[in-house]
Amino acid sequence: MSALLAPRRIAWRVGTVAELVEETAGAVTIVLDVPDWPGHVAGQHVDVRLTAPDGYQAQRSYSIASGPEDGRIALTVERLDDGEVSPYLAGVLESGDELELRGPIGSHFSWRVEDGGPLLLVGGGSGLVPLMSMLRHRAARGSDVETRLLVSARRLEDLIYRAELETLAAGPGLAVHRTLTRERPAGWDGHDRRVDREMLEAVGPAPAERPHVFVCGPTGFVEQVADSLAEIGHAPDAIHAERFGPTGG
Amino acid sequence: MGSEDRANWLDGNGVAGLLAEVFGAEVTAVVRGCGSCGAEAAVGAHRAYRGAGVVLRCPACGDVAILIAQLPDRNVVQVRGVWAFELPRG
Repeated sequence: MSALLAPRRIAWRVGTVAELVEETAGAVTIVLDVPDWPGHVAGQHVDVRLTAPDGYQAQRSYSIASGPEDGRIALTVERLDDGEVSPYLAGVLESGDELELRGPIGSHFSWRVEDGGPLLLVGGGSGLVPLMSMLRHRAARGSDVETRLLVSARRLEDLIYRAELETLAAGPGLAVHRTLTRERPAGWDGHDRRVDREMLEAVGPAPAERPHVFVCGPTGFVEQVADSLAEIGHAPDAIHAERFGPTGG
Repeated sequence: MGSEDRANWLDGNGVAGLLAEVFGAEVTAVVRGCGSCGAEAAVGAHRAYRGAGVVLRCPACGDVAILIAQLPDRNVVQVRGVWAFELPRG
């Protein structure tokens, strides 16, 4: 990947909430109109800043869920009841409210159709968010780049973007693999355990095909997946990882 | 991003906002050579430890790559090792 990047001042902007979409019982997608948005690359994130009336500020990073072609910015936020920021974003925020954000940032974890494939995307929980941006970008560009998505959730009801993933999987070149680690509906034909080496080998592609690999999720999940990928023989510089931090939600 | 996970570090990519404040550019895809072990890794693949600022460490050996202390009115920055940049002119 080229390190040639346009310098620009990173400024805070004010976006307006255009729409809120309940994805699951615990996750909300916030669709924002952001004036003068410079455009993003699939996989990048933004910093969101909340300011209390007394001036106290709290800041968190959220992956962008929308594709670059969408025009508006969508963030999918998982509500953590003991969190400081997410209960506000996924519970209190309403259409028409304003939100301060800066970005897009994080080019290390990003993919363009021009970067080619094959692609291996592995997401745990809301780690699916930046990977979804890549899939939406791929679909918007009519790309059939060979892509394997492996997504892990506790229960089927916790899996975000369920219907859209099924639609996308009907298109050319994309295989969607799901694993449910805690509870499975009757007749479940997907995987039924935490992601491990055997599952990753079954999903592919093999290291010899030199896939671009993107892994996003909670730190323990990413560690486990990255270790397994290394054991299988994927090149360390082909593996892009994004861990959720100890940010307190 | 945003989880109850309590691990004490995340990826350099995750502190891209602060790095952009410091460098005036998005630098997570820039490759940095470690002055200690010689490993080359993208800034976004370094380990980021957060406290009253951020410490980025080499993902291979843990040697410090950059210290950024966030003070109310300014960032205090100490850079170590080799940072190779390509930035467009003008």
